[in-house]
Amino acid sequence: MITEKPVKETRKERRLKDERYRSLMTPQQLSYLRRKSITDKIWPVFRFLIIFGLCFVILDPIVFMISCAFRNQADMNDPTVLWIPRNVTLDVIKETAQAVNLSETLLNTIKINIGCSLIQVITTAVTGYGFARFRFRGKNILFIIVILMILVPPQIILLPQYDQFAKLGLINTAWTMYLPALTANGLRAGLMIFIFRQFFKGMPRELEDAAYLDGCGPMRTFLLIMMPNALSSFLTVFLFSVVWYWNDYYTCSSFFSTNKTFALMIKNIGPVLSSALFNDPSLQVSARELIVWTQAACLMSIAPMLVMYVCLQKHFTEGIERSGLVG
Amino acid sequence: MADHTYQYRNKDRTVRLPYEKRKALYGYGFIALWLIGTIVFFLIPLISSLIYSFQEVNPQKGGAHGDWVGIRNYYEAFTKDPHYREYLLKVLKETAVNTPLILIFSLFIAVILNQKFRGRTFVRAVFFLPVIIASGPVYAVLTGDMDRTGTGGEQFSTMFETDMVTQLMNFTGVYGLNETLTQSIKNTIDNIFGLIWHSGIQILIFLAALQNIPPSAREAAQIEGATSWEYFWKITFPYVSPMIVANLIFTIIDSFIDSDNKVMQRIITIQHEWNYGLAAAMVWTYFVIIMAVIGLVFLIVNKHIYYEVD
Repeated sequence: MITEKPVKETRKERRLKDERYRSLMTPQQLSYLRRKSITDKIWPVFRFLIIFGLCFVILDPIVFMISCAFRNQADMNDPTVLWIPRNVTLDVIKETAQAVNLSETLLNTIKINIGCSLIQVITTAVTGYGFARFRFRGKNILFIIVILMILVPPQIILLPQYDQFAKLGLINTAWTMYLPALTANGLRAGLMIFIFRQFFKGMPRELEDAAYLDGCGPMRTFLLIMMPNALSSFLTVFLFSVVWYWNDYYTCSSFFSTNKTFALMIKNIGPVLSSALFNDPSLQVSARELIVWTQAACLMSIAPMLVMYVCLQKHFTEGIERSGLVG
Repeated sequence: MADHTYQYRNKDRTVRLPYEKRKALYGYGFIALWLIGTIVFFLIPLISSLIYSFQEVNPQKGGAHGDWVGIRNYYEAFTKDPHYREYLLKVLKETAVNTPLILIFSLFIAVILNQKFRGRTFVRAVFFLPVIIASGPVYAVLTGDMDRTGTGGEQFSTMFETDMVTQLMNFTGVYGLNETLTQSIKNTIDNIFGLIWHSGIQILIFLAALQNIPPSAREAAQIEGATSWEYFWKITFPYVSPMIVANLIFTIIDSFIDSDNKVMQRIITIQHEWNYGLAAAMVWTYFVIIMAVIGLVFLIVNKHIYYEVD
């Protein structure tokens, strides 16, 4: 423990030392120090205000969603209720869960989502490795195709794809999502191949050379040497892929005629709710009151993503540095 | 893939392929799966949609059947369709305005988030939260509902705009100086909600680039007595400039391909009317315009970028 006295002395000493230093400085250096000490005091206040304001803008909708999902519909017409509901109830959640067919939709979404993301991460990683480490004829042209995959709007190719799947009789089955993922051509596959290529290019060649010398073939080198080293960037790309698949409704809506996934359900939430809950014409629900149910559905659909984000937040925000997208 | 690697390994014993050639074959092996997929799910659909755009397409059972009509679809898209041209201009204008704003905003936020302060982890988590929501349908439903209750982003920014911004502009003497200037400042503030919600990934990329700046650069600048302002322009900016290009292109693509923008909505509507030829023509002209914009931007910006040579 440091006692009171020596601390005071050192402070005094420091002040003396400071003065001695200052007497040696030029006026420019002194004014620089003065300015710096002022900005160092003021800037944190401004920074706090900016951050606080922007955080409010981001969190406000989420608080709104959660608060709406747990309130009674009558609260929507009560002007005194802003965030904290007067009548907290779980009825709305239960009704909405029934309307959107919660367990089935959730299971379907997870099956398509996790399955496709997992498959696609592996296939795009293999492709990215091929582009990063091997020299073969036509590589540049093929890589231009990868860039093209990033640039081409999905709307261009969805219609002919629909025809292809229709010929095979696969419309309305999960194969329409799995098959492209299996061949590294699913949602935003071009971007993923690009990221993996950059990542593998950044890894030291010595790793593989050592493996080759020890008699490891390229496939085994990839599986045993490169994959374990790339795990964290695998996780990052996988998480983004999960988010993209979870939020996709455009591709799904082309291949599915029923509301199989959560994104589709939310896209058509109005009709879904009115056919399931408000079929009875004697029920009068105003547009304002309807918000309670739509927000409950929204909350249900993004709750898994929110939970995942809160748990794995580190990998979202820090993994991208190692994923090779930068530098 | 496994097939031909096996084959050549057997051949190895008799005919020794040069090492380079063998490696090239492995390269093909690694991309084989993707190559097949790309031909089937990307190149063939791409070409057939180009063909559709020159045809009058009648969807039938067992695939579409088309009659050749030349460039009539393209002609129709620009002259007969009541909305296409208007929406196209609108989207181009919006992108031109919003892209620089998103870039400046996200760089600013990234610089702030890169500083050390208490609660930084929490703040970072909050700023990236939009990444998981804004790309999905929940965003549209949520903002729609909030507007209906009068607590939405638009009302939020409007309140902000009328009270504070007008006063601020009056105070600095900008107000009424120039009609377009006043209006564009107001529009920006109006849009602030959308800007914040759409710059998550850009912030992420900038932040990663900022963390790659060697600490020695900061130390050297401090010893030389650089102010934060000078530090930003002389050190930070050159270091993140390659990422500015990447972000610029990402933002442009993102705003063009967004399924919620007017052109995309129009194309989807036309597709739902089974008018595939017209839809294909529209989407192709749109795509060519996107490519032209990106190419132009890349050519202009790429000259002024500082690349660190290893």
